[in-house]
This record gives sequence, C-alpha cells and structure tokens, in this order.
Amino acid sequence: MAPSRTGHAPTMEKLVKSLKGQLLEASIDSYIHLLKRRQVTGDDCAEATAHILRQVVAKSKWSDVDQLLNAVQSVGSRLVQAAPQEPVIGNIVRRVMGLIRDEASEERNADETMSESISELPALAPPTTAVHPARPQPTPFRPPPLSSVTSFHVSRSKSMFNLLSVADTMHSPQTGASTPMSQAQPTSMNSLRSEVLDGIEEIMDEISQADDQIASFAEIQINPTDNVLAYLPSRTVERFLIKAAAKRKYTVFLVSLDPPNTHSGEVPFAALRKKLNSYGVKTIILASNGLMAYMSRVNKVVIGAKVVYQNGGLLVESGASVAAQAAHALSRQVIALGGVYKFCPEDPSDNIAGEKGASSTYVSYSDGLKVDALEVENTVVDYVPPELVDVYLTNLGPQTRHHLATIMADHYKPEDVGFSLHPGELY
Amino acid sequence: MATKQGVKGGAAAGKAKKAPKAGADDKREDVLQAVVLADSFQDRFLPFTLERPRCLLPLAGVPVIEHTLEFLASNGVQEVFIYCGAHSEEIETYIYDSKRWNPNSAISPFSSLEFIRVSDATSIGDFLRDLDKRGLVSGDFLLVHGDLVANVPLDDALAKHRARREANRDACMTMVLRSLGAERHRAEEASVIKPVFVVDSATGRCLQYDEIHPLQKGDNLMVDPSVFQECPDFAVRADLLDCGIDICTPEVLALWSESFDYELPRRNFLHGVLKDFELNGKMIYTEVIDGGYAARASNLAMYDCISRDMMERWTFPYVPDSNLVHGQTFRRTKEGSCLEDNAIVERGVHITKSVIGAGSTVNTGTSVSKTIIGRRCRIGKNVKITNSYIWDDVVIEDNSTITRSILASHVAVGNGCRIPEGSLLSFGVRIGDDTQLRKAPTPRISRLRHDRTAASTDDFLVGPGGKGAMYQDPEDDDDQDSDTDANPALLMKTLFYSLEGMDLSQSSISTLASDDEYDDDDDDTFAPTLGADGTMATRNRLSSFASLASDDSAAHASSVDAFHGDAVHGLVDALRADENEDFDSAKLEFMGLRLANDASDNSMRRAIAVAFVRRAAELLKPEHGGLEPTKAAERALTSKKGAVKFIKEVGVGGDKTNLQMEFALAMQKALLGVKGLESARAGALLAAMLQQMYSLDVLEEDGILAWWRDKRASENEGLTKLREKCKVLVEWLENADEEESDDDDSD
Repeated sequence: MAPSRTGHAPTMEKLVKSLKGQLLEASIDSYIHLLKRRQVTGDDCAEATAHILRQVVAKSKWSDVDQLLNAVQSVGSRLVQAAPQEPVIGNIVRRVMGLIRDEASEERNADETMSESISELPALAPPTTAVHPARPQPTPFRPPPLSSVTSFHVSRSKSMFNLLSVADTMHSPQTGASTPMSQAQPTSMNSLRSEVLDGIEEIMDEISQADDQIASFAEIQINPTDNVLAYLPSRTVERFLIKAAAKRKYTVFLVSLDPPNTHSGEVPFAALRKKLNSYGVKTIILASNGLMAYMSRVNKVVIGAKVVYQNGGLLVESGASVAAQAAHALSRQVIALGGVYKFCPEDPSDNIAGEKGASSTYVSYSDGLKVDALEVENTVVDYVPPELVDVYLTNLGPQTRHHLATIMADHYKPEDVGFSLHPGELY
Repeated sequence: MATKQGVKGGAAAGKAKKAPKAGADDKREDVLQAVVLADSFQDRFLPFTLERPRCLLPLAGVPVIEHTLEFLASNGVQEVFIYCGAHSEEIETYIYDSKRWNPNSAISPFSSLEFIRVSDATSIGDFLRDLDKRGLVSGDFLLVHGDLVANVPLDDALAKHRARREANRDACMTMVLRSLGAERHRAEEASVIKPVFVVDSATGRCLQYDEIHPLQKGDNLMVDPSVFQECPDFAVRADLLDCGIDICTPEVLALWSESFDYELPRRNFLHGVLKDFELNGKMIYTEVIDGGYAARASNLAMYDCISRDMMERWTFPYVPDSNLVHGQTFRRTKEGSCLEDNAIVERGVHITKSVIGAGSTVNTGTSVSKTIIGRRCRIGKNVKITNSYIWDDVVIEDNSTITRSILASHVAVGNGCRIPEGSLLSFGVRIGDDTQLRKAPTPRISRLRHDRTAASTDDFLVGPGGKGAMYQDPEDDDDQDSDTDANPALLMKTLFYSLEGMDLSQSSISTLASDDEYDDDDDDTFAPTLGADGTMATRNRLSSFASLASDDSAAHASSVDAFHGDAVHGLVDALRADENEDFDSAKLEFMGLRLANDASDNSMRRAIAVAFVRRAAELLKPEHGGLEPTKAAERALTSKKGAVKFIKEVGVGGDKTNLQMEFALAMQKALLGVKGLESARAGALLAAMLQQMYSLDVLEEDGILAWWRDKRASENEGLTKLREKCKVLVEWLENADEEESDDDDSD
C-alpha cells in the first residue's frame, strides 16, 4: 500500500510538482484529464484548482485586469465543465476572480488617491452590510469557551470573515507606500500579479487548514457520553472525530457502505478506528442499511459536506441523506462539516445530484449473471435539504442556516456568482 | 521531439539479434514505455475494416484507440510506440490531427509517441521481432492492443512484476487478466475463445496455456505431466478474460526473435515459451484482477459487449458522459441516456439507455433503446431502433425498424425498411425504400468487395435506389455446400451468435486435417477467414490448436508445428523454382529440418503430402497456368529431378502397403486443407495425383486399394467427397488387378 517510487499513475501530487516546469496549457489539460478520469476527486479538487489558477495568474499573458479575469474565467469554466460533479472547483474559481477584482479596485484606488485607502473598506464590503451585527456572535448556541483554541478561532474567524478586506488593510499601505501615483502600468500589473498570487496562496492555506480548524471546534460540539453517528466519514469528519476523542469520551457509530468488500475480510475504516480506540473512544461499525435501527440511540449525526449550497442544502456522499432524514425524524442534531471554501453561491441542481458512478462499486463485474440481469445505478452523491441540517460547522465556527448568506456574500462577488457552472440544462 | 518513421523490410531481418545493451537501462527505469499493436492481422471486423482500421472504429462514439491511449495515460505511460500495419496512414493522420495525442502538441500526456511501420509484416510476431531489432525499449514496457478498453490501475501489477524480476531475472513477463467468475458471463461468451491458464496457485506463475471454444467436441484438457512435478499446487483457470495487457521485459522480445515462426502472442508465443521452460527457463506470471474493467474489442461480439458495458457504466470513468475526448459534450439524462449538446430529440420520442451524439436529430414517434447513435445522424419519424450501433452521418427515414445491427458511417436507410438482427451495413451503404432485409443469411452489406474494388449493387438485396451488395469473404465464394462445420472463427465475425442449431457433437475436428491448415501463410490476414458456410476447407487453426494440445502429446506439438510449417514452405518453394534447379538441396534442407525438430515419420509424410498437393493445386489456378488436374499432377510430381525419388523414399518411406496407404491418406487430407479449391476439382486432382504416382511406381495398387478401403478415408463428408472422385481410378485398378491375376492363372 505504501506509495512507492515505482508508481507511475499520475496523481495530484505529481501534477503539482510538475507544474513549474510545464507549459500552462499542458498543466491545465493534464488536470482536466485527472478530473475526468476521477483520479482527483473530492476535497483534493479545491487545492488542485487553486494550484492551477495560480499558474494561470503567474504564467498567462495579460496586460490589464480584464484580460486576467478573462483568462481565469475561461480556464475556470473549462475545469468546471470537465468535472460538473465537483462544484467546489467553481467556488475556488469564483474566489480567485473575486480576489482579482478586489486587488484591482484597490490598485485603482491606490492610483487615484492614496489617502482614500481607509474608505475602501465599506466600498469593498458587499452590499449586505446590514448583516454586520450578526458577525460578532459566530457561535450563537453557547458562549465561547476561553480556551486557546477558541481564541485562535476568534481571531481567525475575524480574518476569514473579512478575508479580502483584511488583505486590503494589510496590503494597501504597502502598495501605496512602495508605488508612487505616477507609477507605470507594467509595474502596477506586476504588483497586482504578486498580490493576486499571494491571495491565492492564502486561499490554499485556508483550504489546507480548514480541516484542522473545523476539528478545533470538536470539543464544543461533542459532549461526553454522546453517541455520534458518522456516515462514510470524510477526511474532515475523521479529523473532527479524532480531535474530539482526544478530549471527550464518547461513542462513534461508523456507517460503511453495505456490500463492497465484505468477502475480502477487510474491516472498514481500520485506521480511523485504531486512532479512536487509542483514545478510548468506542467505535461501532454499521452497514448503511442497518442505520435506522440505531438512530434512536444516536444523539448527533456528523456529515461531511461536499458542497454547501446557498439555500443551505448539502451535497453529500450518497446515502448520507437517508441518515440525515432519519436523524431529523427523531429530532437528533445533524452537524454538517465543511470549510467555507465549500460554500457554493448557487442553487442545487438536479444534474449534479444525478451523477452516477461506476456500477462495479455495488456489483462485481465478475458476477456474470448479475451483470446481465441487473441495471445498476450507483448514485454517487445525495442532496440533503436545508431543513434537515441543524448546524453548519465551518472553519469560521458553527453557523446556522440564516448566516450562510453572509458568508457567501463575504466570499464571492455578485458578478462572479453567475459564473457558468452548468452550461444549459437537458430537456 | 518525436520522429515519424517508416521503415521497410522489417520482417526479413527478424532473425538478426540485437546486441544486448546493459547499463543504460537503469537510469531510464522510471520512464514507463508502452507498445500499442494497432493491427491485429485479423478480419473479424470485415467488411468495416476494408475502409477503416479496427482501432479507429467508433466505440460509444469514440475511436477505440482513444480509450487505449487514455488508459495508457491514466497509468502514467511516458513513451508510446504504435505499430501499424494495414491502414497505417489513417491511424497516423488520426493521431496527428488529434489535439491531445499529437506528439508535438503541448498537451500530449506522453513525452514521445512514435509510429513504426513494418511494411511486410504479416503477424504480430513480425512487429515484435522488429521492435527487438530496433532496440527502442530499454526497460519494462506495456504491450497492449489498439482495441483495449480498460480502467485498471497497473501500479500494483508493475510493482509486483518488478519485484519478481529483481528476485529472478527469468521472470520476464506478467499478463494482466480479468477474472470473470464462475458463472456464465457475457464477456466470456462474446470472446468465443476461452483461454485456459494453468497457474501456480502460490506465485501466479503460468505453467501451461491452452484455448477452448464452445464448438469443441469436448472440454477436456490435457495438463502437461511436468506441471505436476514442478508445482503440486496449481489451478486451472478458465474463468479469465484475456485483455491483452502484458508487462514485458526486453527479454520477451529476444524470445520472439529466437522463434521466427511465432505469430500470435498467446497461441504461439506464450504456449511455446511455456513448453520450452526446461530449455529457456523463462517464467511468465499472471496477475489476476478482480476489480476494474479491462477488455479488448477483439471481435464484433466483444464490440457489442464493451459498448453495453460502457452504457451500463462498468467501464467507469470511461463512459460517454465523462467526455474524455476533446470536444465531447455528453450529459446524462435522468433516464440514464447520454445526450450530447446539440442533439435534437423531439417530443414524443422514447429514448432509453442510449447515447446520442451532437448534431443528430430524432423525430417524433421514434423509439430508441440501448442504442448508440453517432454524430450528425438523422432519424425519421416512427422509427424503432433497438440494441444497435449507428455511427456518424447515418440517415434513417420514417417507419423503419432496426434491430441489433451495426450501421457504419454514411449509411442511408429508406422509408419503411427492416434491418434484422445481426446486420452489418458498411460505410456508405444505401437501402432503398420498403426493403425488408432477410434474416438469413445474415446481411453483411458493403459497397466494396474483399479486394477493395467497388461491388456492383445488388438491386434485389438493397432495394430500389440502394447501393451495396452482400459482402463475400473470398474463401467462401467457392463452395456453398451446406456443410455447416463447427467453427469458432465464424462466431467471431458476427455481432452475436447462438449455439442452437450447431451440432456440437460433430467429431470433425481431426488433428491431421486441421493441422494442414496450420501454415496457410499465403494469406495476408493471419486468422483464418471463413464464410457463412464454412467448410472443412476453411477450418480454423483454433480447432487445430486445441485438438493438438489435447489429443497429441502436447510437449511435442509446438516443435511438430514448427517443423511442419518450415518443411512445407521449403518444399513448395523448391517445387516452384526453376526447372533446371536440383531438388537435392531441398531434400537436404528437409532432412536437416527433420533432424533439428526430431520429426516423426508421420509428420514428414504429412509435410511432403501437403507440399506436393499444394503445388499441384497452385498449378490449377489461372495465374499459374490453369492446368488440367492431370497435367498439374504430372507437372508437380515430375518437373523436378529427384522429386519422385524423394517422395518414394522419404514421403512414403518404403514399399509396404500400409505406408503407401498412409501417404495416400495424407494427400487426401492435405487436399482438403487447400483453400479456394472446390471439392469436385480437388477430387479430380487427387485422382490424377494418385494415378500419376501409380504410374511412377511410387504407390502400388495394393497401397491405393488399401487406402480406398480404409475407414479414415471417408470419416467425414469432405473426405468422402474427395474419395468419391477416385472411384474410377480404383475400379480401373481393381480391373487391372483382376486381369493381371487372370493372366497369371492362364499362364
């Protein structure tokens, strides 16, 4: 299992490593094919997309902001079309475009009058400034404990909320100081380039830290003696559970897909269970179809979201929706985990939820009779309607549905929201 | 960066050994190379392959080779060599026009892609010997066919292969095989020929290889006794799908070069190398995969099977809506079909589990089910299409019905036509209005004949205003006898087959008769080509292979085959040569071969009979003078000094009656094996040759009469037919005999 040097198959790591030496077009194309061949999926897409867009900004030729925006948008829409099943790619593209717009308007302002740099803040802030009062209380349910973790969270949350405006306040004085008003255009473009690249680095940092930050809220969310059900725990959920285990004694119900590899004798989630057990947390494995019976004993359901839509609905692993509904029916708390970068300023679409995967996940191709007799539909993702979700736990802290709009507005520019995700609908 | 090469004269120099190069290998270890065999030297896709190579035929709207190359790219292959035979220009044009695969393109996933043409190659073996000569591959490489569809990650198999090779330099090859389970499986049925691997359960080493097919007379398989000695714990696996993915070391190529008569990677090479394990010590391993998908579109039924697997998403992510090929814009509907952008489906159309390409229009009232429709097609109103494959630019007018057929590009089907199950309509065929094609014989309609000349339109078949005629394989023109022989190659050429109505117990698979086929090398396509009414004369080598391996002492089989092929070749060449050249050198060569291969008297007799019969049959053909059977027999036997003596001494091997009888029998069977000879003429030739040999004192009347009475001479229909023609001769001989004895009495 060890990733030896003999591995030839292309991976995201290899792609990222080779980015520097490769032509931009080659990198984009190989990424597109990694997506199409499903060799990069899920959360990795976000990071890989940021890497690729960083290359676009760094390598493509542009002499003004519009050209840059066009370049990013065209590459972005190619990526999105290559993998419509991964809406998170679109999020990153929007984030980067928003970042460019911010940096550009700031450049312009800096060019016009340096003194106005302070007044930029309201100008840049999204039109929904009325929601500002909501911000200081990111955890509406409980008072923030005075642990170091939380303080980190608070400071971080502040910076994340105003990610772009903070960047402004940090960068604009520098820019203003170093570049006189009469600066030549190329210089300003160069500085814009480096600003944007820095901004993308920050987005990448945010992505890579999101899981840890979410996990840092684990002990607030999980209480001792809780019975937590995790449906096909994603990387984010795993980290969350482990972090919680370090502080709390509770019980985890791990729901695995029912049929696959039952004959191979492999215990699902072996690594995760080992870690949890080492902290003294009990783990119980359930098959997904046996989940309902245990729901009455569970008091929290943790779901890793692939995407959080603007209405609060979730895109999740197939089957997780059933778990959420069962929990809802019994009034159990449903906690959705997902970094802010998974927040998608769109409405859910049937097409994506209709994504079908490999038939061989559920029926082995070597079973000739079944291959002939059955029509296998492997639904890869499920949609969880917003009313089933109680808490959205982001890297900025726990949120309720009503605050999602604020987060969306903080992170995406209205002009980028319409960035085409689904080129037309069928029928 | 990449060079395009066109080199002539590859096969002839196949024996030249490449100087082994060491040292340089190691630094290139981490570059994975792959060799794609883009020509299979088969004609299972006729009549389509007359105009387009197999690897460019669309599979779910995409040329098959796209899938193969994508598979290689997904496994991190860096350097690709594509071997082309027939249609090499088309393949090269396709690749060079492709944005993604063009080796000069920035976005090509391969660091290099080269085409290698071997102009006179007649088999895959020639390709690989050429590759050895060039020394292009330095380390382990993947050997795949240009019709592969697979999604398996090979990293594991490669790592295991490497570990084995490091442990033992003789572990030279790993075959990746897909297990299909114990139950009936459609891929297994579609591939017709079922490979049987005898595998060491512990290590996966392949110990013996065989092939069986559904028309065989029994399912018994002879396991080589040496298997028991070498490995007490072995498994005989017939549940594997051979997807033709081999991980090879360069030594594999050296092995190919050592045996210049190997043609097929499995039946010749694998079988041969395993048989010679004691000599060469080379070990070949199997890597059985339980997950993932891997299959070759090796015949029409497999084409059908893979297409269905794609629609049912077994090949995921190689499915239409992944849009792997540049410019594709398929999207999946809720009903499970895939429609490309700009595919216009009007209201009132029922589309279930189908794929429809861009620019195609489907009109009201039509139902399309489990069908793949290419781009720019126009489907009229109230058409019913089920389980069919419709390539690009096809027009189907109103009220037609198409069931389980393949319609190639630019086919036009008129109003109210019926295209029945199994129909193959090749490029540009036009079916006139209100034409109901008949189910039997299965319509295979083409505008070209087998020699690529335009066929004259058969108005009766394709209706008014139609274009195209029934495609005839060159082999089955001659005899339309009702002799439905069990023949797996026949199954290979149909979209689907049913075993009903075939007499499976027919015991016509005789080792000798079919062995005579074994070296039908005068055909540029390697696999035997048979028609709808395949006769004994066109029996496939597969049966010979299977029966040889199971009936004969198997260890002997490969060397016997080698001997037979070379010997016949040598003799025929000598017979063809100038009149005044001496036959002695041919005789010398023959004896040399015999010693080298330790051939039995029986196989010598067979070889000689085949050689002379073939020469005589050749003389019957117009291009060689079109002689009468009598003349031809005389010429074949007597034109060479020493030939008669040679037959008498070596071929017959003495004066004994039973030897003479055996020789006559061998000739009779050899005649059956001659292609393109109708049985009446073959019979006449046999009679003429026997008579000639009688008058040359090679055979005596006792020998001929013994043959006449022998049961084996009439053990099947084909043989009986030949025998009948000799009746006159035999009666004459009997009379002569009586007269002689009368004379004796009177004296």
